[in-house]
Amino acid sequence: MLEPNEYFEPLGASEKRDDYIPIASKSFARDVWERFCTNKRALAGLILLAVIVAVAMIGPLVSPYPYDGMDVSIANQGPSSAHWLGTDQMGRDELTRVLYGARISLTIGFVSTAINLLIGVLYGGISGYIGGKLDMVMMRIVDVIFSIPAMIYIILIMLIFGSNVYSVMIGICINGWVNTARLVRGQIVALKEREFAVAAFTLGASRMKILFKHLMINTLGPIIVNATLMVPQAIFNEAFLSFIGIGISAPQASLGTLAQDAKMLLSRYPMQMVYPVTVICLVIFALNFIGEGLEEALNPKGAR
Amino acid sequence: MSEPVLRVEHLQKIFPVKGGLFEKKKVVHAVNDISFSIGAGETLGIVGESGCGKSTLGRTILKIVEPDGGKIIFKGEDITSLSRAKMHPYRKQMQMIFQDPYASLNPRFTVGEMIAEPMENYGMYDKHERMERVQALMETVGLKPDHIRRYPHEFSGGQRQRIGIARTLALDPEFIVCDEPFSALDVSIQAQIINLLEKIQDEKKISYIVVAHDLNAVRHISHNIGVMYLGHLVEIGPADKIYSTPAHPYTQALISSIPKADPNAQGMMNRIILQGEIPSPINAPRGCPFSTRCKHCTEKCREAMPALREVDSRQVACTLYE
Repeated sequence: MLEPNEYFEPLGASEKRDDYIPIASKSFARDVWERFCTNKRALAGLILLAVIVAVAMIGPLVSPYPYDGMDVSIANQGPSSAHWLGTDQMGRDELTRVLYGARISLTIGFVSTAINLLIGVLYGGISGYIGGKLDMVMMRIVDVIFSIPAMIYIILIMLIFGSNVYSVMIGICINGWVNTARLVRGQIVALKEREFAVAAFTLGASRMKILFKHLMINTLGPIIVNATLMVPQAIFNEAFLSFIGIGISAPQASLGTLAQDAKMLLSRYPMQMVYPVTVICLVIFALNFIGEGLEEALNPKGAR
Repeated sequence: MSEPVLRVEHLQKIFPVKGGLFEKKKVVHAVNDISFSIGAGETLGIVGESGCGKSTLGRTILKIVEPDGGKIIFKGEDITSLSRAKMHPYRKQMQMIFQDPYASLNPRFTVGEMIAEPMENYGMYDKHERMERVQALMETVGLKPDHIRRYPHEFSGGQRQRIGIARTLALDPEFIVCDEPFSALDVSIQAQIINLLEKIQDEKKISYIVVAHDLNAVRHISHNIGVMYLGHLVEIGPADKIYSTPAHPYTQALISSIPKADPNAQGMMNRIILQGEIPSPINAPRGCPFSTRCKHCTEKCREAMPALREVDSRQVACTLYE
């Protein structure tokens, strides 16, 4: 121990207080949010998505036209003050249809992603954490599910349950969780050998607590990023299914069915195709930007 | 003598080694037939070179890895084959301080959450009391209680090790395995941590096993010292005895390797330099593991591992003393 000598004098109580520089402690979520906000593209994506979601929710409610109100006498009109984006071949208001379609597409995108995440995280987490033979069996099941093309499941489901929103969701989820499960398993396998997991064990944490509290919290980053990329994928899958005619059936509409309806008249009324496709593009861009921004915000490499 | 806090009898830990398809299955005897006991408030230092099994010994005693043979007796209870659930109450009393304060703290937990967590696991105190205790513990280990909401990455290595110690103390353990608690820290911080561990021991009568390869640090903190070589305990006894008059040829070499402040001092001239490499633990030599590098080696050494026997108030496993 060093003895204080004449070159030094002890600080008084008041000086000690002056010397203290308070640093606001940031919670993890807040930290991420602040880094996310510095990324302009990601922020723009978030605002764009918020606007699309808000308009898609409110639009059909305030629109003077029902989404399925047909009036063949005004079919295939161009934009006018009564119908801002014109009408389709059945005389339905195009703007109302696009907004209604966006609502269904977004619902499918978010709900199926939520289901995929729930199943994938639980499955992958348990498989990776318990390991051994169970892991082996669980992962081979995943391989089998993954090796059968999604289209086969989807067509079978459509045959049994008919063409509606729920069949599309089941179809997307039936092997959509596989990627999440693999991702989470890989993360958990790596994390469970880390010393902090051993420390949690010696400090008396239960298996469930180690897995869900200590390990999962460290996989949040990749999982969230994965999720933001799964939403546009689900929307795109639904659009594709509807486009080839096995998705949502009329008079309901999704962005995919709108594009499909417009396909027949593409050479004469190309604008009917442009509207739903533009919305699909905007949603996918917005979510990709958000995903990118979150990835950066959650993995601050070199950030302290 | 009263019942020791911990008694280990013929403890063994074997790891399988992955071989090729047609190779014979091989094993590593990481901990080989080790026996010792520790009394209340005592510190046993375990020294030896890297890979000799000292960390594995600590982990086996706490049943982080399951032992393959022998007995672990904690306060008179045989805990060797207890299940995870039955082990739970014992785990509270047997704790560990980890080597790497960077890896052993969960990066997503605040200091407060980290120190409160073991108490939550054992349902100790209510929420309010826990927070008070967290603050008290932070003061005990020399952290500012107002840092309670910070994350580990906001602390230095020494501070993180203090967080690790506070978290361990939260359970009021009676026995702590310190797995190289100093090796990731710089020398000045090492001294602080050693003093902290000693202070805590004085106050709470905790028994330690300190696993380390820093001989000076271990000497400072330990009452007894065990020397390990390739999974075997070759010498064990009071720290002063081991350092002043090492008996086993390996211990002699180890002690002579400690740098001296005075280059002209006696010890400097008698530096024993070991020839050869430490053998791979997969093909450990028959008989005494040290026989391949020992200058006193005889035929007898290569036949069988000598048993520990009392020599000059410590125990040595060497044919020289038979």
